[in-house]
Amino acid sequence: MRLKATNIEHFYGHEKILHGIDLEIEPSKITAIIGESGSGKTTLLAILSSLLKPTNGDVYYDDISENSIKDINAFRRKNIGFVFQFHYLIEYLTLKENIALGAFDEHNINTLMENLGIGHLANRYSNEVSGGERQRAAIARALVNKPSFVFADEPTGNLDTKNAVGVFELFKSFNDTTFVVATHDKKIIDYADVIIEMEDGVVKCISKKRV
Amino acid sequence: MITPLKALRKNWFKTLLIFISMTVSISAIFLISAISSGVVGMYSTMLKTDGDIIVTQKGIADTFFSDINRSLEPKIINLAGVKELNSMIFGASPVDNLPIVAIYGVSANRLDNYKLISGIYPKNDEVLVGEKIYKMLNSPKKIKISKQEFKVSGVFKSKIGFEDGGVVMGLNDASKIFHKNASMMLISLEDIEAKDMVEKINNLSDDIEAKTTDNFIDNYNQFKIIKTSSDIISALAFLMGILGIISMMSMVVNDRKVEFGVMRSVGLSSTAIISRLIAEAIIISLFAYIAAIALSYIVLEVIQNIQKFQGYINGEITPQLAILVFVISIIMAIFGSLLPAIWASRIDPMSLILGGSK
Repeated sequence: MRLKATNIEHFYGHEKILHGIDLEIEPSKITAIIGESGSGKTTLLAILSSLLKPTNGDVYYDDISENSIKDINAFRRKNIGFVFQFHYLIEYLTLKENIALGAFDEHNINTLMENLGIGHLANRYSNEVSGGERQRAAIARALVNKPSFVFADEPTGNLDTKNAVGVFELFKSFNDTTFVVATHDKKIIDYADVIIEMEDGVVKCISKKRV
Repeated sequence: MITPLKALRKNWFKTLLIFISMTVSISAIFLISAISSGVVGMYSTMLKTDGDIIVTQKGIADTFFSDINRSLEPKIINLAGVKELNSMIFGASPVDNLPIVAIYGVSANRLDNYKLISGIYPKNDEVLVGEKIYKMLNSPKKIKISKQEFKVSGVFKSKIGFEDGGVVMGLNDASKIFHKNASMMLISLEDIEAKDMVEKINNLSDDIEAKTTDNFIDNYNQFKIIKTSSDIISALAFLMGILGIISMMSMVVNDRKVEFGVMRSVGLSSTAIISRLIAEAIIISLFAYIAAIALSYIVLEVIQNIQKFQGYINGEITPQLAILVFVISIIMAIFGSLLPAIWASRIDPMSLILGGSK
């Protein structure tokens, strides 16, 4: 699935955060959106992932405008996964139950957890596992319906270097999924296929890794 | 089912508060309905056991104030199809140190309705006393009613609290105390249509009003007042229950914003989120219902045994009432949780990205 954004503008109150952004996300690649705090990268990520409606402009998934999608929840559940900076696992549910929260089919959860190295933690609660394991569970929750896109907002913000690298190694291993990651973690940039640099609400430059 | 239970356990303190709020509301509905239907039921049973037609003074709102002339008795008893006629006086008066006691002046043939547990039926200047009041007055030999002294000839037991906590005497004695001939006549019929007889009796005098017993009970003003008051208090308890759930559930939703935001971000529909919260409220309401029914039984039992009420408050939780209140409890849970659930289903997942600031 292809993702395209045209003339995206967004205001919070009277403050303009994004100033007419046009971009296209390459499928099955890792795209990093980088920039200083306040550059608009998180807002752009939220708009691309359908969590936030832009004030102006349009987002197209395979040339279908987001505005024309009747049931955006159902669309998001099927096609989009989201990983937050804080894992936001529900405390009273086990890791497996957290991952199953939006799952269409619960049969592949065990395999997914095994692949992410947390298979043995299925029945543990989030307060019983490490930060890295929590974030892996959050990633599993985003991947459970095999979505076309996974959007991640500072997914390594609360992790040490080892765990942070582990997260991006994981992203790399899912070849069919398009990952869009908002980050200012410079170590991570090495793992990205495309880097979109934001500054003051505009795309400053887009660079692609040479293969 | 497991997930809502886990959520309730996790938020146990607020769950407990919602449970208590619902239990109190449901108990209030149970108690007020049971007590009012108990009062109405006792009086209705008393009237129904005695006949098909009730005759009172015309246009009177309360049988206590009814005054009819017994000279009509022979005319009524001679009507074809009348099997039996009992005249009665209903009154209330201080008895010894008790400020108010129900007094029944009854004709000789009605006296047989009372099952004696000791003594004999009363003659002139004698009274039968209900078991409850007999105990309250410490097994008296004589009692004083309205400055007159009466010998206690016997004690009877009745399931009807008004009677068990009352005094029965001959109609002539009651007539002297209350200065009236009779409050009402209770007429039993042969196998004929009561409506036709009502018309014939009403034609006998302009001062009386005959009604079938069922019609009388359905239209008796005091019953209407009791029933309306009970319905209003029940409605208020229901409303308070709903408001209690709304306020507590709103706090719960606020505490669990992240959870509902995550649900929205993974694409769960609004209906799915609303259903989860309503399921939680229904589970609490089921437990609250069970607690309320147990609490109501205990309270009713205690009230029935409080001496100063003289057995006049005699609530009954019928299967119909239990089913009705069960349905009300579920409706309370659904309505109470609906608004907070809708709010939860609209929590913006962006608030998670913005660290809960939005």
